[in-house]
Amino acid sequence: MSTAILLLKNIGKIFETEELETHALKSINLTVNKGDYVSISGPSGCGKSTLLSIMGLLDVSSSGEYFIEGVNVTDLSLDQAAEVRNAKIGFIFQSFNLIDELSVFDNVALPLRYHADKPNNATIKKRVIECLEKVGLSHRISHKPNQLSGGQQQRVAIARALVANPAVLLVDEPTGNLDSKSADQVMDVLDQLNKAGTTICMVTHDPRYADMARTKVQLLDGAILQAPVAKMVG
Amino acid sequence: MNLFCYQLKQAYLSLKQKPIFVLSVVSTMGVTLGALLCVLTLAYVMLIKPLPYPDQERLYNVEHQLISNENAIDGRAFTYPNLMHLYNQQSLFEQSVLMYVDGGVITSLPSEPMVAISFITPQWFSLFSAKMAIGRGFEESEKVNSYNPVAVLTYETWQNKFNGDINVLEKSLTLSGNNYRIIGVLAENNIEAPLAGAGFKTELYLPWDYNSVSERERKRWGNDDSGLIYVGKLNKQYAEYSKPQIDQILTKVVNENWQSKVSGHDFFKNWSIVLETQTLKSFIVSDGERSVYLLLIGSLGLLFIACANIANLFVSRTVERQQQLAISAAVGASKAQLFRNILAETGLLMFAAILLAQVVIFVGFSVLQYYLGDFLPRIDELELSAFSFSVSILLLILLTLTFSHLCLKMINYHALNATLQSGGKGIGIQVSKRVRNILISSQIATATALVFINVVLYKDASELVNQPLGYQTNNITSVVLALPNVESEIKAQKLTALKAELLAHPKIKKVSQAMRPTGFGTLALTASETDNRYTVLGKDIDDQYFSMLKQAIIEGDNFSAADIKDNRSVMIVNDIFARKLAPNGSAIGFKFKNGVEVIGVVKSINMPGIQRIDARFYYPASLARNMLLIDQHQGQIFNRDEMIEVMKSVDKKLSLFTFTSLNEYKDRRLFSSVTTAVTTLVLAILTLLLSGLGLYGILNYSSQMRRFEIGTRMAIGAKGKDIVSLVFKDNAGALGIGLAVSFIVLLVLYLGFSDSLSAYVNVELLPLFILTLGAISLLSALACYVPLRPFIKNPVIHALKVSE
Ligand SMILES: Nc1ncnc2c1ncn2[C@@H]1O[C@H](COP(=O)(O)OP(=O)(O)O)[C@@H](O)[C@H]1O
Ligand SMILES: [Mg+2]
Repeated sequence: MSTAILLLKNIGKIFETEELETHALKSINLTVNKGDYVSISGPSGCGKSTLLSIMGLLDVSSSGEYFIEGVNVTDLSLDQAAEVRNAKIGFIFQSFNLIDELSVFDNVALPLRYHADKPNNATIKKRVIECLEKVGLSHRISHKPNQLSGGQQQRVAIARALVANPAVLLVDEPTGNLDSKSADQVMDVLDQLNKAGTTICMVTHDPRYADMARTKVQLLDGAILQAPVAKMVG
Repeated sequence: MNLFCYQLKQAYLSLKQKPIFVLSVVSTMGVTLGALLCVLTLAYVMLIKPLPYPDQERLYNVEHQLISNENAIDGRAFTYPNLMHLYNQQSLFEQSVLMYVDGGVITSLPSEPMVAISFITPQWFSLFSAKMAIGRGFEESEKVNSYNPVAVLTYETWQNKFNGDINVLEKSLTLSGNNYRIIGVLAENNIEAPLAGAGFKTELYLPWDYNSVSERERKRWGNDDSGLIYVGKLNKQYAEYSKPQIDQILTKVVNENWQSKVSGHDFFKNWSIVLETQTLKSFIVSDGERSVYLLLIGSLGLLFIACANIANLFVSRTVERQQQLAISAAVGASKAQLFRNILAETGLLMFAAILLAQVVIFVGFSVLQYYLGDFLPRIDELELSAFSFSVSILLLILLTLTFSHLCLKMINYHALNATLQSGGKGIGIQVSKRVRNILISSQIATATALVFINVVLYKDASELVNQPLGYQTNNITSVVLALPNVESEIKAQKLTALKAELLAHPKIKKVSQAMRPTGFGTLALTASETDNRYTVLGKDIDDQYFSMLKQAIIEGDNFSAADIKDNRSVMIVNDIFARKLAPNGSAIGFKFKNGVEVIGVVKSINMPGIQRIDARFYYPASLARNMLLIDQHQGQIFNRDEMIEVMKSVDKKLSLFTFTSLNEYKDRRLFSSVTTAVTTLVLAILTLLLSGLGLYGILNYSSQMRRFEIGTRMAIGAKGKDIVSLVFKDNAGALGIGLAVSFIVLLVLYLGFSDSLSAYVNVELLPLFILTLGAISLLSALACYVPLRPFIKNPVIHALKVSE
């Protein structure tokens, strides 16, 4: 039996504004196991990003319970959540979110700078180069993000997500801002990472890429449409 | 319609939709510009503007210096005979004016008003081009020694004291028992030259002959009197002469004659007279110069802070307008057109601010005239003028160009088109880090310097206000009487009777025959054993004085009633003078050449508003002395009318000159210190507040621009404190530069004005400086932290969301 890295029990999310309440998520139950490659898809506005934010501890749920590697993380303080994010979660955004003033190296190194273990510079350098090699960008180490193409930027973002050795990569529409060639490259990198053992949970509305995942989750109006179907590994 | 009008109209329409922005810019700039223009006009009037008299560049004041055998300046005032000798014998000046000021009571008017009198020689009228409303000024018939008893009224006196009576020229008025025929009234717009100090406004002009210097003093070659003033208009043929040449010629006229007159006195052996001229203009403004510079620094600093804040508003405004600017660029507006667009908007705002400033100036002039009229000369010449107008225009152009340039610098024209495509993530408009840092540094530098200067002035002023005086002021009223011109024996009788009547009054506890405790004269004393000469402040008092004022005798005795009655040759010195007379022993028994002996030592008092304590002494007053101190029972107020009633019951001819409580004298003397304390405190707080808001504005804005970066860092695992320290570190440089610049500015100020500032600067200021630095740093830290709070106190998603 595989171990659950992420476990969501009856997670709900309500956005309250002055005029109206939006039930963005309604009682989500979801398990992401070690080594899994989960895709979450559905029409725009169905709650994909909201779900991923909660899974990534960027936001808090309104109801339900959430476990990471068996630890209940539903009610963490902001600082505790930051520590868990740093140690367990690698986040990849649609718009890359690299920091313009920092070089590629410093962008990738950033999670280690906030790491509880306070690794020394030599360790950081070794680890950063390792990760940049995995995404094929070790030769761009001292470039600034705006000197790179979109696809390259997204691969730097992947390296950054990997650098602290997280338990899971959470990926939100990684190809939304990319042309199809770059998008394919990025998806290749993710595929290879998963094959090498990295657990991935990815939001996408592109059916082609959703099909690359092993477990497909369909969301509609904040609820899971059908029981997750595991694709047989052939 | 031409392009310019079109752009102005567009700017107007787009501003109309931003009332808060317009209001903030116009009110902040209007008020600070108004304040600056006020002070600039004041500085112009006082320091640059020619005096409003014909040939003003040829008008000089002459100072008379008494030089001792040790070559020190012993006095800076004329002796009466030297003044008259100069007036009669000199040939450098084509016109000369003598003036002496005093107060008097017009007893011929039913209200017996007290008036300020200037005794003048006839050429006063032509030298100051005085215009008459009616009648004539003084002429040959009123020349020196003509003793023609006539009077000229000022316009205000005519209106207020004589009800503007058309027939006033046929009337006469009575002063100290003399009748004067009124021969003229000065024109309403006449500007009096403030020869006797900024606060002195003459109400009545009398011929020189009737000045209050006694017949005895008029013949004394060694006694100087600071009330004697000489002004002359240099003859054209001497216009090329240098100041030392002029001084030398005048000195020769007076000194040679003086030497021959005092040759008989051993005391004046090797003494001499030196005359020194000064242009009338610098003589008049010399008092106010320092205040004007301080006001200038203050208002410039405030304007600077306001500009930093407004620059900040313009930055936000430009960011807001990026969509509009981008569309303009997309449809083909050139960079120059965009600039004109911005120029029109900025210009319109600055124009409105300058208009508001004119109102502020107008109000400011009245405020300055009301509050500073007694302290600063020429302040009644303040008016909206070509000067204030042209400086306004200059500032309008300067500020419009500066702010427009700042906005333009933010716009990356080539990136504007991209803005439209990228959905507005702010590529086209950027506040460069440099601009932001300059804004922060300049804000901090000005704030630190201004707050520090204000805190120092506040400390100085509040120490003066709160210093214990060492004498009683509550319940005591100081009274000066105008006595009829009779023998002093009779005066003494009247006064003794008056004192008895007053003591019998139920409200009165004690009466002392002396001037208010702050009034002293300068007297010269020579020690009988050592021949040491002392120039000291002295006053005449009676035996009741010290006990009424609760001033403690610390050694020896108080005056006895007999000391006063017999006018004995005894004196009481204050502890400062006692230490001078006998540095190691007791001053009791110390004798002077005039036969006077020290019998007591009294504790020194502090003069309100003055830190230094001088050597002083007290001697028995004559029983004919026309001044009284009246101590009332607790809670009982003996008023002016009651005083007049008691006086008239003693003698109808007694009139009341002044009737003022000691607390009022104290408040008057402390007025400038209190105003300084309040103004500096308000300014310090205002500065902190304004710059705090300004810093918050800049940092809030830059945090908003960095929200994605902050969100990303937090998504990656940064905690709240990591973000705070990141932002602190980012701004520490600008803060440091700001503080360093303020330090340099203060240092330069100190070195530049060390003469007038050295009195304020000492080691005690170090903690104050550190405190100021601390307050500014704390303020900056708050300004950094507060904008970050929403990001670090909420789930990270808050910072990452595009909307809001
Ligand atoms: N901060 C918010 N406040 C209110 N409603 C929100 C907020 N964020 C998202 N929503 C709403 O929640 C629903 C889900 O949004 P989201 O998770 O972004 O959808 P998706 O990523 O699937 O397009 C939408 O209806 C959206 O309008
Ligand atoms: Mg989404």
